[in-house]
Amino acid sequence: MSRLRNVAVVAFAQAPVVARDEHRMATEMLYPQVRRALADCGVERSAIDYQVAGSADYIDGRPFGFVGALEVMGSWPPTQDLHLEMDAAFAAHYAWIRMQAGDCDTALVCGHGKVSEGEPRRILNLELDPYYQAPIGLDPLATAALQASAFMARTGTTDRRLAEIAARNRAAGARNPDVQVRSSASADELARTPWAVEPLRTGYVPPLGESAVALILAAEGKAERMCDRPAWIHGTDQRIELQTLGARDLSRSPSARLAAERALAMAGATSAADVDLVELSAATPVEELILCEALGIDADRSSPALNPSGGPLVGHPLMMTGLIRLGEAFRQLAGRAGDHAVAGARRAIAHATNGHCLQQNLFWVLGTERRWT
Amino acid sequence: MAEPPVEPIKYVDALVRLPYHYVAGDCRARYLRALKDKKILGARCSQTGKVFVPPLVNSPESLAPTDELVEIADRGVVTTFCIVNIPVIGRALELPYVVASIALDGADISIHALVQECKPDEVRMGMRVEAVWKPDGEREGSHEDILHFRPTGEPDMPRDAFLNRL
Repeated sequence: MSRLRNVAVVAFAQAPVVARDEHRMATEMLYPQVRRALADCGVERSAIDYQVAGSADYIDGRPFGFVGALEVMGSWPPTQDLHLEMDAAFAAHYAWIRMQAGDCDTALVCGHGKVSEGEPRRILNLELDPYYQAPIGLDPLATAALQASAFMARTGTTDRRLAEIAARNRAAGARNPDVQVRSSASADELARTPWAVEPLRTGYVPPLGESAVALILAAEGKAERMCDRPAWIHGTDQRIELQTLGARDLSRSPSARLAAERALAMAGATSAADVDLVELSAATPVEELILCEALGIDADRSSPALNPSGGPLVGHPLMMTGLIRLGEAFRQLAGRAGDHAVAGARRAIAHATNGHCLQQNLFWVLGTERRWT
Repeated sequence: MAEPPVEPIKYVDALVRLPYHYVAGDCRARYLRALKDKKILGARCSQTGKVFVPPLVNSPESLAPTDELVEIADRGVVTTFCIVNIPVIGRALELPYVVASIALDGADISIHALVQECKPDEVRMGMRVEAVWKPDGEREGSHEDILHFRPTGEPDMPRDAFLNRL
């Protein structure tokens, strides 16, 4: 791998995930996070070269609704800006590419959107093609269940195993003040919850939630001044699969496998199993297992720690879940993970996804040391 | 490739219905509630002192929080305007009509509203106007509680008084 520019996460701020914030609009939820992220690295907004956000205008219910966030991101004097209709982790990926091009040293990355104001299941149904898939009412829960069936049939994974994975995430989530579901639950309890869409039980899927997140990236030379323990990006890659669900083997994720391989290669790492923790945008235990298989790690082993934050199962704000994984990796490596800290964490993997059934996958490999010298 | 069917299916219709239920937000809620009492609230930037109306939680310009809601006048000055001669979707207004940017006394940015009760060609930059409210008992805490603005007959204001409040 040729030498790339060392870029680090230097700040992360997140509004605790809630079912519905009755007091604040999406941008009003975001504003304090922008301020906190800037304060965390001790800079004024003028120190940030570039800004980028991820959100969905259909969730806002306003065409071009993303521009509302400009008012709380510090967009004056006129600034360079980009918005992606994607999980905000992909916005961070874009900012990282801009930094590799050398035209900015610092970037503010935001994610926002209030799912409680609209009907996200209807909205996400519209993600599918309007001829064959959307009219029959498929939504992410139904497509996730199709994927779960395919995976369980191929691997022999049992309902009990899904319950155990969900229970592990619930136990972790109980130690994280920013998640929506803060109570642990045993595998026995979860295995008794009713079907949401069989073979997924209500205990295996997250509630709808909303949040607002701000993350700051900075390149070597500035990152060290903005953060005492930056989380350096060692490698990253993203890959997407075809839109037609029927054309995919839903029991596997070749896009996750390829993106993970490429990110690990960029990081100079031989195996995902060598990192201390992995934060996956897995909204169900089956997605977690499919992603573990793509990464080549064993979901049953205690190392690397899987979703020490509790993962999306305990807090899944659409369009932000992936950026929160990157933020959680930063918290772990920067020693800011509080009660859910993985002791001595030095390397981490963070993952984000878009679309139905893990259609698009983005991986980050991060470490406490610079990748390139 | 076979020929298309003799009676081709040319379109697939989809009726998309997506209801939304927007949170007003505490800041906006106070503004809307005050309209019911014929009061207009703005928010003052804690750093620059600029007053924004409708109120915002932060100044988009300085990024500092606003720290105070202040009552501002229901009258002000036309800073810029246009004369609409084509029908607008969703509004049954007699053409032509005037839409103006109005800097209310005490505010540092303009709001947008109709100027009525005068001929369109009488409207000019610097013209003093006042709000015409819905009658008592009919206001419901909505932006529609102000029906429109009308000329006050006061002398026009000099450009310097409003050029930085467009």
